[in-house]
Amino acid sequence: MISKEEKGGLLQGIRILDLADEKASFCSKLLADMGATVIKVEKPGGDSSRKIGPFLRNSPHPERSLFFYYNNTNKLGITLNLEHPMGRGIFIRLIKRTDIIIETFAPGYLKNLELNFEILKEANPKLILVSVTGFGQNGPRNKYKSCDLVASAFGGQMYVSGSPLTPPLKPFGEQSYYSASLFAAISVLLALRKRVHNGKGEQIDISLQESVVSTLDHVMVRYFYEKVVTKRQGSLYWNNSYCILSCRNGYILLTPFQKWETLIEWMDSEGMAEDLKDDQYREEEYRLRHLSHIIDVLQRWTKTHTVNELFELGQLMRFTWAPVQSLKEVFDCPQLKAREFFIHTEHPEMNLSFAYPGPPYKFSCFSLDRWKRAPLVGEDNVQIYEKELGLSEEELKRLSSMKVI
Amino acid sequence: MVKEILSGLRVLDFTWVLAGPYATRILADFGAEVIKVQSKKTAKGAESNITGYFNTWNRNKRSITLDMSYPEAKEIVLKLTAMSDVLIENFTPRVMSNWGLDYEKLREVKPNLIMISLSAMGQTGPWRDFVAFGPPIQALSGLTVLTSYDPAAPLGLGYAYADSIAGLYAVLSILAAMDYRDKMGQGQYIDLSAYESMCTLLGPALLDVSLNKQEVRPHGNRSEYLNAAPYGCYKCLGIDRWCVIAVHNEEEWHALSQALGQPVWTREEEFSNLSKRNEHADELDQLLGQWTGQHTAEEVVELLQKVGVPAGVVQNAEDLARDPHLKARDFFTYLEHSLLGSTIADRSPIKFSDDSVAGWKAAPTLGEDNRYVYMELLGLTEEEFSSYVEKGVIG
Repeated sequence: MISKEEKGGLLQGIRILDLADEKASFCSKLLADMGATVIKVEKPGGDSSRKIGPFLRNSPHPERSLFFYYNNTNKLGITLNLEHPMGRGIFIRLIKRTDIIIETFAPGYLKNLELNFEILKEANPKLILVSVTGFGQNGPRNKYKSCDLVASAFGGQMYVSGSPLTPPLKPFGEQSYYSASLFAAISVLLALRKRVHNGKGEQIDISLQESVVSTLDHVMVRYFYEKVVTKRQGSLYWNNSYCILSCRNGYILLTPFQKWETLIEWMDSEGMAEDLKDDQYREEEYRLRHLSHIIDVLQRWTKTHTVNELFELGQLMRFTWAPVQSLKEVFDCPQLKAREFFIHTEHPEMNLSFAYPGPPYKFSCFSLDRWKRAPLVGEDNVQIYEKELGLSEEELKRLSSMKVI
Repeated sequence: MVKEILSGLRVLDFTWVLAGPYATRILADFGAEVIKVQSKKTAKGAESNITGYFNTWNRNKRSITLDMSYPEAKEIVLKLTAMSDVLIENFTPRVMSNWGLDYEKLREVKPNLIMISLSAMGQTGPWRDFVAFGPPIQALSGLTVLTSYDPAAPLGLGYAYADSIAGLYAVLSILAAMDYRDKMGQGQYIDLSAYESMCTLLGPALLDVSLNKQEVRPHGNRSEYLNAAPYGCYKCLGIDRWCVIAVHNEEEWHALSQALGQPVWTREEEFSNLSKRNEHADELDQLLGQWTGQHTAEEVVELLQKVGVPAGVVQNAEDLARDPHLKARDFFTYLEHSLLGSTIADRSPIKFSDDSVAGWKAAPTLGEDNRYVYMELLGLTEEEFSSYVEKGVIG
């Protein structure tokens, strides 16, 4: 393999101002983790996402939000009141040395502050502005309020998740924010390539709703080509290819149809195949018609095993089965440990160090040599305002007393 | 035209099913020349060129046929690699090296090649050879059990979300590696794990486990981290029609009760502030559900959004296909396919100011670009080409 001596930041030299709240703070985290310089610009007192749990020791506090910790690693942090005329002036100075702004304000907000793209472009013609909002910048719903629940409903995730006996179910976590952030991070790198060709800045419009619709796998395809509306059917997968069954000590996700003969041979060797050995079950059509019986027999069999027995033996026979893991099991997973997926991160001001989920990729020519916890409120004000913008200590104090910083 | 953005980038694409094709579709949408390597033997099921699935995930790509079981195929791959910027594959880890086509070998013909292997578990570790598609990845990551009402009845998502997520990470990694190559002149081998990709989307909850040493349990549409009430999914008029309502603060609560005409229950002491509403969330849900049940989801949402309360219609595939907002934003696009006729698919949520999709085309038929790739690009003569076709190497 290539020597790792020639490492450098993968996205070294790219400068990003992160004005995003919880909807897209993950976007610039993705880019910061790859080596871009990201400055998080929070309103004085801190961003609203610092109020989102979970919290360190379960005690809510702006410096203890694990949601904020996770979504802001490797960023610098400053505070700035954009709504104050002096804050606006400082912001214009900041963007002269910025490649990218990521923001999540309601459409029209930046225009009211006279900070819309046309004006920002005058200060920096090469600026790339990425806006992530609930429904995008235009269209009849562009002023609607959104959050993960609303995006998940309008985007089609909920209707197909859950059981027929329950209300539709939102995927756990802020999945619409994460998928939109992934699209937004990709858009940043696309816009930078476009800028190399034409030398100009760019405005990008990303909607949470569309990000959700774009990650629905079969749902729209099935409708457009077969006019079938997918419904929620519990843990049984839409095309019956997977179901979840209980074992002696937990749950396994398995395939009731795949590699039928191998499966029946395995169950039969343990005397658990019952009538599934009968020839008529070799026909897929017949199996589909008797699916609930097959699942009953499988359930009696899986109950006699531990999850890991079925998982590891199944994988040896190339069954695409998996345990339904809890987060504790994920945290203790031997595969993730062997790949050093979790990264120990120092929080020196609290005398704490604990493991964070790291990136899912390994680059041969690059590894991040810095890995830093999220910034405290205004942690880098002095560095950015005094050392980079050249403000004096007195000016900084004055701005602070006027609540600009 | 969005096709101009990645023009000049050539991608040799060995991927199949969803995660890999989802990634290369994004590259192709923005103008990369993606050459999908297929064969008659592999073009089945999800990889059969004339299905809706294939057409959806493989638009804007080229298709060539090459049967990797022939020794000549390896030489052809090396020649194609020498002319490509990126090679992407999503096999289990031993496949490429069994063909003698690992990164070390490929670099000999293309020193600054960017190669990415997108596998279920990554290229190393005790589970490296394990096989998995989207649903098993979701089950492993914790997403399945947490997307449930009860830990003893895991449900999970009704679709393969993890494939899209791994595909998005693949695109991000490739573009970052391109940026690095442009600056440093060096290629890159990227080992991407779908399992880890999914885990990164459960970050805050994993930190909770890491730091507070407590297990995280499912709570339906609520969660133990939530500080909002009412917050949930409510039944509306019609068959299987639902809306969602999310009230995070006093302002939204007052707007909601006004919109409802301030019924007596909204003034009860037990709902008088957010922490009390959180405490009595079940009771609140029941009362609110009685009101939503008398209206259509669309009515509820329009009424509540008008007064600034976050609310949404639980849309199904048909609703999405007819959604006037998505229509106004041109979210779906039509592409003419030589066999399937006029086909429709989602565009991209990445909307540039100039977002014209001029030049987009439907997915290729099997081997549609054989002559272009083998003769025009590789420079095979008519005789060489025919002899490969006859032998079945190109087939």
